[in-house]
Amino acid sequence: MNNTVSFKEYILKTGTASVQEYSAENDNYVRKSQLREIWGRFCKNKIALLGLICLLLLVAMALFADVIAPEGYDNQDLYNKFALPSAEHWFGTDNVGRDIFDRVVHGSRISLTVGMISVSIAAVVGILLGSIAGYYGGRTDNIIMRILDVFMSVPGILLSLSIAAALGPGLFNLMIAVGIGSVPGYARIVRASILSVKEQEYIEAAHCIGCSNARIIFRHVLPNCLAPIIVQATLGVASAILVASSMSFLGLGLEPPIPEWGAMLSVGRPYIRDYWHLVAFPGIAIMITVFSLNVFGDGLRDALDPRLKQ
Amino acid sequence: MSTLLEVKNLKKYFKTPGGMLHAVDDVSFSINRGETLGVVGESGCGKSTLGRTVIHLLPKTSGQIIFDGEDISDVDDHKLKELRRDMQMIFQDPFSSLNPRMSISQIISEPLKIYHVCKNSKELDSRVTALMETVGLALRFRDAYPHELDGGRRQRVGIARALALDPKFIVCDEPVSALDVSIQAQILNLMQDLQKERGLTFIFITHDLSVVKHISDNISVMYLGNMVEKSPKKELFDNPLHPYTKALLSAIPQASIHRKKERILLEGEITSPINPKPGCRFAARCIYAQDRCREAAPPLEEMAPGHFCACYRAKELAQG
Amino acid sequence: MSDKLLEIKNLSIHYFADKTVFKAVNGVNLSLERGQTVGLVGETGAGKTTTALGVMGLIPSPPGKVVSGEILFEGKDLLKMSASEMRKVRGKKISMIFQDPMTALNPVLTVGDQITEVIKLHEKCSSLEAAAKAKEMLEMVGIPAERFSEYPHQFSGGMKQRVVISIALACRPEVIIADEPTTALDVTIQAQVLELMTKLKKEIQTSMILITHDLGVVAEICDKVAIMYAGEIIEFGDLEAIYDNTAHPYTIRLFGAIPDLEKDVDRLEPIMGLMPDPSNLAPGCRFCPRCANRMPICETTPPPEVEVTPGHMVKCHLYKEGGLA
Repeated sequence: MNNTVSFKEYILKTGTASVQEYSAENDNYVRKSQLREIWGRFCKNKIALLGLICLLLLVAMALFADVIAPEGYDNQDLYNKFALPSAEHWFGTDNVGRDIFDRVVHGSRISLTVGMISVSIAAVVGILLGSIAGYYGGRTDNIIMRILDVFMSVPGILLSLSIAAALGPGLFNLMIAVGIGSVPGYARIVRASILSVKEQEYIEAAHCIGCSNARIIFRHVLPNCLAPIIVQATLGVASAILVASSMSFLGLGLEPPIPEWGAMLSVGRPYIRDYWHLVAFPGIAIMITVFSLNVFGDGLRDALDPRLKQ
Repeated sequence: MSTLLEVKNLKKYFKTPGGMLHAVDDVSFSINRGETLGVVGESGCGKSTLGRTVIHLLPKTSGQIIFDGEDISDVDDHKLKELRRDMQMIFQDPFSSLNPRMSISQIISEPLKIYHVCKNSKELDSRVTALMETVGLALRFRDAYPHELDGGRRQRVGIARALALDPKFIVCDEPVSALDVSIQAQILNLMQDLQKERGLTFIFITHDLSVVKHISDNISVMYLGNMVEKSPKKELFDNPLHPYTKALLSAIPQASIHRKKERILLEGEITSPINPKPGCRFAARCIYAQDRCREAAPPLEEMAPGHFCACYRAKELAQG
Repeated sequence: MSDKLLEIKNLSIHYFADKTVFKAVNGVNLSLERGQTVGLVGETGAGKTTTALGVMGLIPSPPGKVVSGEILFEGKDLLKMSASEMRKVRGKKISMIFQDPMTALNPVLTVGDQITEVIKLHEKCSSLEAAAKAKEMLEMVGIPAERFSEYPHQFSGGMKQRVVISIALACRPEVIIADEPTTALDVTIQAQVLELMTKLKKEIQTSMILITHDLGVVAEICDKVAIMYAGEIIEFGDLEAIYDNTAHPYTIRLFGAIPDLEKDVDRLEPIMGLMPDPSNLAPGCRFCPRCANRMPICETTPPPEVEVTPGHMVKCHLYKEGGLA
């Protein structure tokens, strides 16, 4: 037992080398601006990058539609109906001899606007209602959610139809009608994720440093609920374009000569057996939009989450 | 020494499907400026609820809270925001108490922004730098995110956030329980240094008796929402009076092979404080319980100077 | 009694993720004799649990992989066994008690069913016999047999841990690996469970590896102690050697960092620095960056294992066979 003392005492006595608090690591944490960091994470996802490029091209096409297709979209050439794609008419012509390429290009303006704006309307209203319901809980929650339940019990398209019928035709009314129809979906998703985030200790900490309720919702809760909202929104654009087209088809959306991808699909539908190009090109346009939005949305969701850094 | 905080007959009940949960039941205590009150107890004894109710994170059911000579039992939102500058909290879990989407400097500067403490961003920046230095965080972590730091560092961020507004009083809810021993010691030392430098007053909530003994001046022991014993630290460890405190002290495994103490094994488990029966809450597990213990709850009485205990038989048991 | 029941030789387990390798366990040697309890002590990330999962053959793969070493159990290498052979050993010969009793039990099965299931898997017996045995097990851990058909949520935390223990003991295994069995419990409940484990250990003569970070718990029920740091066992010996004759600078400072109930100190002596990063370990001694006794040699050469007193192994350049260097 003699060296009982000696080991420990020896070590403690001779242990004089200084240990810096942080000497154990040699990782160098480099300061980076947040935007650049998000962009860096986004660029690592090649498919998402492709989606962004496609999306930018589509937006450019909408902005410069008059330059790309200067002839306009409603020049009828009745001698040249149902022409197949050729050098003159890249995408062929439709049932009244209008150039499909021109119509797809011009249609991007309407379709993209309808898709994005109606989703924005739906998302903003839905997030607001959902966060209020989820955050405050109790009676507020009950009232909001029961009203939304009533909305949800009506099929979405029927709801949009009745709103559009009440507001009358027109681009803006169409967007409102389509947007309101999908509000309950957003509200439900937001509420569910807020309920789980609300229980986290950092929300309590935020109360503790004197944050107002609005600040807590927008600064602490919502950023942590982003992932499902982004997914829902990107998927929502596609369905908004389709709903808008069905409404145009029923005469509650845009008036006929105005090109709109969904409307073009419904015009071409009766001829699909003989003239595939009437539906193929607007369909492809919708598909590309939806696809690029989806992959872009996924990439964005991951890039915005600082935890997913590899 | 003047009293900073005085709590009288504080009650906090929660409505549950099973009935009223008496989380904190008639608790009174006071803390002097610059001192630390340790609150010990097992899970479900109401110690965290007590801390949160005192700083108005949870609304109380009844009772009086006097802070810095002012009755703050019932305050409006405006006054509450003022109060928050003086009362802060350090949380248990360094992994969930920091918003994962905010960088370290954003987290630390947020309270300063809310209270418009700094005139411009330059001043804000230097305040954040100073705070990070105070808690021993390397400045290169300014723009790091919480998930990039280890538990000890995250807890330092939490401490910096609590210190940002220069509070007088901090409730520490198990600040070191989630940390490893070697890191735990670093954080405990930091907290002691800060207390000395800034004259802070702490309520230190923990289930770990050895930690509470190290850091506190006074200790109170809670059992199922009641404060069963309250005393200066040394007195409590040398001369525990309440049978629960005795059992608790004897149950701690000691990192030594020579001190084999007689262990008082408690029968049964902690019951729930939902619609508690009258009488001493500990009676069901107490080997000394008599009929009177089950009839009415014993009051918290001063048995020795500064040493309070809520047990009918404490005196008689102490004499042997 | 010195027949080695379980022997871990030079075990290394690494996790591979993208381009980084996390060296969780690095060359661990450990042997367990019949009837003995070995405490495996270390802080978060020291590789305690990974070592245990390695013995159980439960390393998630990928990303985990046993890089080298062998685990001899009754003379056979567990690492060379096929999955079906391993299944026969697991639960029957070697069983595990998990840290969190709240999640270790299946909430939709009664506790009786869960114990019976283990027995039926490993022993040829009828359902009735198995149920009778299960009831016996419950009684043994201090739960009345009437609670056989209750569901886990009807039990409190300490009671659940008793159920978990009875499942682990159901087939009278040769070895139990207990991973922080009392960490999730309150002190007074922990005392009850520790008491129970000590009693059972005597009764059924099982060997046990107890994984914990709590040197107090180890002092209560272990015979031998192994201190782990950064995936290595840096000190090993019997209780007396580790507690009274502590040799490794890390162990000495670990004891110093624990607030002591008996002594009054103004300041604790923390170990400065941070836990080692398993993807970026120091080339020499793993503890070197945090060690106040470091010498130039520590930075370059990993210290060998030396026996300072009989049965007391230390990995540190300060020592040579038989004492201080």
